Amino acid sequence: MYRNLSIKQKQIVWAWAFLALPVLFYGVIRFYPTGNAILISFQDWNLLGERNWSGLENYIKLWNDPVFWKVFKNTFLYLLLGTPISLVISFVIAYHLDQLRFMHGFLRMLYFLPFMTSAVAMAWVWRWFYQPVPIGLFNNFLASLGIPQIEFLNSTTNALPSVLAPAVWAGLGFQVIIFMAGLRAIPRSYYEAARIDGVSTWTVLSEITLPLLKPTIVFIVVFSSIGFLRIFDHVFNMTTNNPGGPLNATKPLVLMIYDTAFTGYDMGYAAAQTVVLFVILLVVSLIQLRILRDR
Amino acid sequence: MATLSLRQLTKTYEKTEVLHGIDLSIEDGEFVVFVGPSGCGKSTTLRLIAGLEEATSGDIEIAGRVVNNLEPKERDIAMVFQNYAIYPHMTVRKNIGFGLRTAKMSRADKEARIDEVAAILDMTELLSRKPSQLSGGQRQRVAIGRAMVRDPAVFLFDEPLSNLDAQLRTQMRLEIKKLHQRVGNTIVFVTHDQVEAMTMADRIVIMKDGHIQQVGTPDEVYHAPANTFVAQFIGAPSMNMLQGVGAEGGISLPSGIQFRGPLAPNGVPLVLGVRPDDLHLDDGEPLVEGQVAVREPLGHETLIYVTTQGGEIIAKADGRRPPDVGETVRLRARPDRVHIFDAATGQAIR
Repeated sequence: MYRNLSIKQKQIVWAWAFLALPVLFYGVIRFYPTGNAILISFQDWNLLGERNWSGLENYIKLWNDPVFWKVFKNTFLYLLLGTPISLVISFVIAYHLDQLRFMHGFLRMLYFLPFMTSAVAMAWVWRWFYQPVPIGLFNNFLASLGIPQIEFLNSTTNALPSVLAPAVWAGLGFQVIIFMAGLRAIPRSYYEAARIDGVSTWTVLSEITLPLLKPTIVFIVVFSSIGFLRIFDHVFNMTTNNPGGPLNATKPLVLMIYDTAFTGYDMGYAAAQTVVLFVILLVVSLIQLRILRDR
Repeated sequence: MATLSLRQLTKTYEKTEVLHGIDLSIEDGEFVVFVGPSGCGKSTTLRLIAGLEEATSGDIEIAGRVVNNLEPKERDIAMVFQNYAIYPHMTVRKNIGFGLRTAKMSRADKEARIDEVAAILDMTELLSRKPSQLSGGQRQRVAIGRAMVRDPAVFLFDEPLSNLDAQLRTQMRLEIKKLHQRVGNTIVFVTHDQVEAMTMADRIVIMKDGHIQQVGTPDEVYHAPANTFVAQFIGAPSMNMLQGVGAEGGISLPSGIQFRGPLAPNGVPLVLGVRPDDLHLDDGEPLVEGQVAVREPLGHETLIYVTTQGGEIIAKADGRRPPDVGETVRLRARPDRVHIFDAATGQAIR
């Protein structure tokens, strides 16, 4: 029977033969739980007992939960601070690293290392940096200059940026590498032509480099946004005594979901939060793609 | 409009010298083509003139002004690149106008200048398009337009036609030549294609391994090549080379044939060069004799590859009545069409 198929049909048969396993895997491991989560979000379930239908009760509870709105705000703060800051820093690093020949490989490795490091280990090291005198690195340094102590992790205003900093730093290496690949893809003759035309460095950057990097920028913005919207391990590990604290000042949505599910055992409520996170991720990504898409 | 001279120009990368003292002076309004195989230093020379690379030693003078230490923009030059270097995200108008960014002109004057250049290049209706909507030849014209808009003293072209297909290349070749006749600026044009060099140049500069081999008009380099390299590089198919030895009043070939030509010293190894066009099937006293191995019909003529005692020879035969494969042919050449070179140095003996 196989013999009688056309070349195109044979290719399709083989493609499906290879795709069958991942498709099955995705179905069972990804799509089934996603559907199930949506289902559970309309139920009341404590993980062990009966599942009872509760309609929109979980969503109504979420809407009226002041903690949810605090967490919602935090999550967007991580996104709105983290994405642009990491984008600008990684571009500045990549732009200059690209022009450097001396120790290029070594520097690139230095920037990439944090990306390969375990987030948990990194969070704990930074946590140590942030401790008050005489333990913390930063405060010791400030003290030696005679500057007053800064409460990094124990202040409701400083805690979120303090947690965000190592998260930005951790993702930087990846973004730098992507930016450098984008920069390398721009033909040298574009810059040479600009040099002959005698335009300023700023004009070259704003009118040639950045517009030609647009696909790279879209990719990085979408990827890092998804990352910041899902931030969890840095927050959790830097605030283990009181996850998401102080006073929920650093708590992102994923941590709230974790808390609700595995501390409160309120699976239905946690599932509702998950669905909300899913919708947020979807909407943010779609908006970004639309705004940044090539006309 | 300007003269251009290079004096003892050298360029060294790391420890390798790639240009070994180039001397050349180019007249105002002259169209000079640099030609040579890849790696001969022609593009490097152009980039040195443009100021994209720094000369290791020697002087570059444009319009009587030494420009070695000037930035490209201060040299009053414009360059057209092999891949055109036109910006894909800008319209044709913006691309052409990019060269005027730093010009001290009013906005209206700049727009007028862009329109004028577009009109010369016959692409007024393309001004609002993006490069992705243009054909290869049109992109090429945009690149030329961007160079023209600044009205530079010297135009530099870096293999601008090599990304085009054969037909378009022939067409653009003609257009660039017409453009030169019209605007009259000095042009330095780099190519690896000897046909481009022959058809466009006022003077050709033939380079090899960082040395200039010969500078001359297309006529001179074709009819009086300075050495075996030039003789074989210019003209297609290549000039035939026969090893021989200087003999009484001429040259003696391995086949035993004595060729009466320019006076050559007795017993000195020589090379006799003769172009395929200059070899004729003839019953007179032959220069070479051999069997036809392969025929390549081209329509109006047929190339015949003849196996002789001195190696394989290419000749041209009548396209209508070419000799058969295997047939023995006698090929004759007029004495004044034969070139003699010193076998040791490769230099022409006249």
